[in-house]
Amino acid sequence: MSKKLKTTQQSRRGFLKGVGAAAAAVGASATPVQAVAAITEPKKRYGMLIDTRRCVGCHACSVSCRSENNVPEGKHRSWVEYTEKGTFPNATLHFLPRLCNQCSDPQCVSVCPTNATHIRDDGIITVDADVCIGCKYCIHACPYDARFLNPETGAVDKCDFCLDRLEQGKEPACVATCFNRARIFGDLNDPDSTISRMVASNAVSVLRPGMGTLPNVFYIGLDYADEHDIRFPRQYIRVTTHRDENIRR
Amino acid sequence: MSKVNYTSLEANSKGFYGLMGVLAAVILVALGAVYYMEHNGHWVTGMNNQIVWGLPHVFAIFLIVAASGALNVASIGTVFGKAIYKPLGRLSSLLALALLTGGLLVLVLDLGRPDRLIVAMTYYNFKSIFAWNIFLYTGFFGIVAVYIWFMMERKMNKYYKVAGYAAFVWRLILTTGTGSIFGFLVARSAYDAAIMAPLFIALSFSLGMACFILFLMATYKWSEKELGDAILRRLKNVLGIFVAAAFYFVLAYHLTNLYATEHHGFEAFLLTGPSGHTPLFWVGQILIGTVAPLLIFYTKMGESRSAIAVGSALVIIGGFAQFTTIIIGGQAYPMPIFPDYEVISSSFGDAAKYYAYTPSLPEIVLGIGGVAIAILIFVFGCAVLRFLPDSLADKVADPHYKAESSA
Repeated sequence: MSKKLKTTQQSRRGFLKGVGAAAAAVGASATPVQAVAAITEPKKRYGMLIDTRRCVGCHACSVSCRSENNVPEGKHRSWVEYTEKGTFPNATLHFLPRLCNQCSDPQCVSVCPTNATHIRDDGIITVDADVCIGCKYCIHACPYDARFLNPETGAVDKCDFCLDRLEQGKEPACVATCFNRARIFGDLNDPDSTISRMVASNAVSVLRPGMGTLPNVFYIGLDYADEHDIRFPRQYIRVTTHRDENIRR
Repeated sequence: MSKVNYTSLEANSKGFYGLMGVLAAVILVALGAVYYMEHNGHWVTGMNNQIVWGLPHVFAIFLIVAASGALNVASIGTVFGKAIYKPLGRLSSLLALALLTGGLLVLVLDLGRPDRLIVAMTYYNFKSIFAWNIFLYTGFFGIVAVYIWFMMERKMNKYYKVAGYAAFVWRLILTTGTGSIFGFLVARSAYDAAIMAPLFIALSFSLGMACFILFLMATYKWSEKELGDAILRRLKNVLGIFVAAAFYFVLAYHLTNLYATEHHGFEAFLLTGPSGHTPLFWVGQILIGTVAPLLIFYTKMGESRSAIAVGSALVIIGGFAQFTTIIIGGQAYPMPIFPDYEVISSSFGDAAKYYAYTPSLPEIVLGIGGVAIAILIFVFGCAVLRFLPDSLADKVADPHYKAESSA
């Protein structure tokens, strides 16, 4: 009985000591202003802006992505679609870089049965390859066709803005390699970031806005890459997706 | 209607061992196919980035949907109190479990990581209909097993109606869940329709009943037991109603799509397009799976037993074609990244504009393996437990037998 009481007293004393030490440490290290800042500091929301007017369709982004993320042959985390319109002399060629749209309200996260696909605090959607069972339901659900089953791992794979590079303070490989700076990457929640300023000062649009998924990949000049052009009905339009795996010709 | 005695299948004959041997061999080959695909990865399948659910999924979903419907006969006896169906309750429940096992095994073995099944059972996202289906499938096994137990165990007999009601409600929810896998896919033109759930329920009724009729006829023929005309006639008539109901939902689905401009592209692709899905729809689903069986069942042909068997087989072929057009056809039509576009030419194919899919041999073998597992479980179950009414002659099974004969 006395032994038990002693143990209880000791643990209570230890607890009070711990609380006191913690309070002292907090008081010494953080001013009230910092504490408020820590609470109110907005979370990051990473996004990308693609200026299609600057894209020349060189595929440097696709190649660097493949190299950086060890993407298997025939699969794509990022790719560039070509759109040819009209006939000579009134013909144009436009380019549309594509990747996961890192949506704020993504369907892929909703449908994943095991929560392998989830949104990080910074808005990036990742797939935990150790939890993914490879049911492929998310590939079905993605409105942007941005996912694939990695044949080497058996898990679903997609663009994650080069998470490994981000953690080292670097830009995604596709952004770093784009020589014409067609891709701008940054924190959309930071009003002073380049991407925020460019999104605010340009006419931007997203793919399939009607899906309501709130993509965080924005485009400038998307109209020019759109196959649909109401001014020229039935004009010659050819889209080359560069994802020609098993496509009927 | 006299008392029904139940018996098991004669398991000493050469025919029995021969059948079990053939089924086991097919299953072994299917396991070899699974190993081959697992070892080499997704590369060796016909599936690609756009068509990610291929032929194994067609087999799997067909079997799962048919499993739910195979329990119909038991439900009609227990829930709706139709005496003529009551002796078939055990057999109907066994077939439901066998088909579900076959379907789920195909589904699981076609996962990118089938070894992670335990992950699927321990990590849940309840916003996902897939996660719900894991509960619905396992729950179905449990409820139907209890239902069988209550039907077979004399002491528990008084509770079998409760189990029957539970199984009836559960399978409706289960098929709603299976249909909703597609109904909830808003990104694709072919899906994104609430009608998918009732369509799948109607399909489960027709396919399950067709499977049941064929299994019943085969079992009674091979075991040389008597199967009366009255029960077959009723099953056939009910099957016809289910086929018509499934067609009604198909009609409503396509008419709604044709009314909405945004779906015209997909409807044109399926109904008039250049792909193999168009003949699969018109010939497989509509002609073979709907029109021909209805003609057989509701004309004089329906009086012949072989015609009933042929009609049931046609329903199954049509159902398989329908799941192929739903699952593979729905993915073959490209997603409208730019709505309302009009592409004259594309890398999807100058004329065709759709994604191609040719199943590889291992995928076909895996699917057939699922069917073999279902048959094996059914035959083995009949051999070890008393599932079969000793006789289903009219005088035994038909409650109106005396009245009819005296009239």
